[in-house]
Amino acid sequence: MNTLRIALAAEARKAAASRVFRTVTLLLIVGIAVLAGGLLFAARAGNEEILAKLGALADETGWPLLTNIVMQVTSAGGLAAFGIALSWIFGREFVDGTITSLFALPIRRSTIASAKLIIYLAWSALTAAALTLTVGLLGLILGYGPPDRAAAALLGQLFVLTVFTALLAVPAAWATTLGRGLLPGIATTIGIVVIAQVGVVAGIGGWMPLAAPAIWAMRLEPVSTVQLLLSLIIPAFCWLATTRAWSRLELDR
Amino acid sequence: MTARLKAHGLSRSFGTTRAVDEVTLVVAPGQVHALVGLNGAGKSTLMRLLLGMIRPDQGTVSVAGTPLDRLPAEHWSRVGHVIEAPFAYPELSVRANLEMAARLHLVNPSLIPTMVDQAVSELQLNAYTHVLSRRLSQGNRQRLGLAAALQHHPELIVLDEPSNALDPAGVILLREAILRRRDAGAGILVSSHHLDEVARIADRITVMNHGRLIGTLDPHTTDLEHAFFTAVHADDQAHR
Repeated sequence: MNTLRIALAAEARKAAASRVFRTVTLLLIVGIAVLAGGLLFAARAGNEEILAKLGALADETGWPLLTNIVMQVTSAGGLAAFGIALSWIFGREFVDGTITSLFALPIRRSTIASAKLIIYLAWSALTAAALTLTVGLLGLILGYGPPDRAAAALLGQLFVLTVFTALLAVPAAWATTLGRGLLPGIATTIGIVVIAQVGVVAGIGGWMPLAAPAIWAMRLEPVSTVQLLLSLIIPAFCWLATTRAWSRLELDR
Repeated sequence: MTARLKAHGLSRSFGTTRAVDEVTLVVAPGQVHALVGLNGAGKSTLMRLLLGMIRPDQGTVSVAGTPLDRLPAEHWSRVGHVIEAPFAYPELSVRANLEMAARLHLVNPSLIPTMVDQAVSELQLNAYTHVLSRRLSQGNRQRLGLAAALQHHPELIVLDEPSNALDPAGVILLREAILRRRDAGAGILVSSHHLDEVARIADRITVMNHGRLIGTLDPHTTDLEHAFFTAVHADDQAHR
């Protein structure tokens, strides 16, 4: 436990000092809010292309419209940003060559990999909270008034969706480890985004683990708690696979 | 006294290439054991095998008498190494890197400030303590990596081409740091192709060629370069 604490402190220090992390955080919070705000203004102005893209959402107003637009952007753009951040957390050790310094240490590499994932998850939860607060402020600025119970529930769903979205990017950590670099993680993230979007469009619904959180949050179709929890199987499996891959890691290429 | 590091019959192939071929090697306490060889001789691969970065096809490695696969994790806190890239996270300052390296070696937090001060002073990094490592020259990054590997006074030190990128002043600092630790009882394995430098620090010189250990050189030999090439040439002839 002590070694996990030390590894957590080391990973937190790297993350806090990293320009990549700061940029992705800014993109996730401000970028998504600005993008959603832009879409909202375009829809209000009657831009037909945007209205067509929003589909059934175009009929909504106020908090439901704002939160749903943000959720739509988060489920695709947010997933990409989370995947890039996670690919960097793992891939930078190979790219910078610091991976050799993580061998022959009294802290197991599987512990270091777990620490990376825990720090990622903690950062994701903080980012989700910051994004939710930012959207809340945006709603107030737009004159929607203090959120009522229904709007608060939507904001809560946005928070949960953002955390689930971060979890869905966990396969990028495994891919980065297996591929010993950033690109395999980023490619995997793009693959997840595509599969999730296809899942939503194809109407596979809640049984598609990569799409279930977005479908649930945006209420496109009914999604049961079981279906939502099933979407955690992929991140859980990839979490274990990543720590095992770090434990068995060989610098043979 | 138990060897700090021992390899027996160590082999590893990559495809059809035998990168390390039945290597048996000992690093004793209070000894600088130098590994010399031409580029591609297998020195770095051997060092990776010794530190568990790659697994051998056959043979064993033991640290302080315990086989690597049974070595308690805590024992690695008594080992320091630089293999290829130094411990230098670009986004962290020299001091932050050294503090992190010390913690990762389980150094008591209360001892770290003094330890880092001494390491900074020993490798003359004083002017760069608060500079991000991404802004350091390659030579100073190497000094940082060496400081991170040596600051916790390990019993076993493994350094792959440690004088790479160092200026003459850095080479002298490295030499003094290595000899101080040897005198304190550390076992040190160092690879190099700078024969004159090796002659100044090594107690034992082993020559590696095409993955095999082909003999030893006397550090006091007047023409070490000639002796080295004679050994390599003879081995090449014998294995034609």
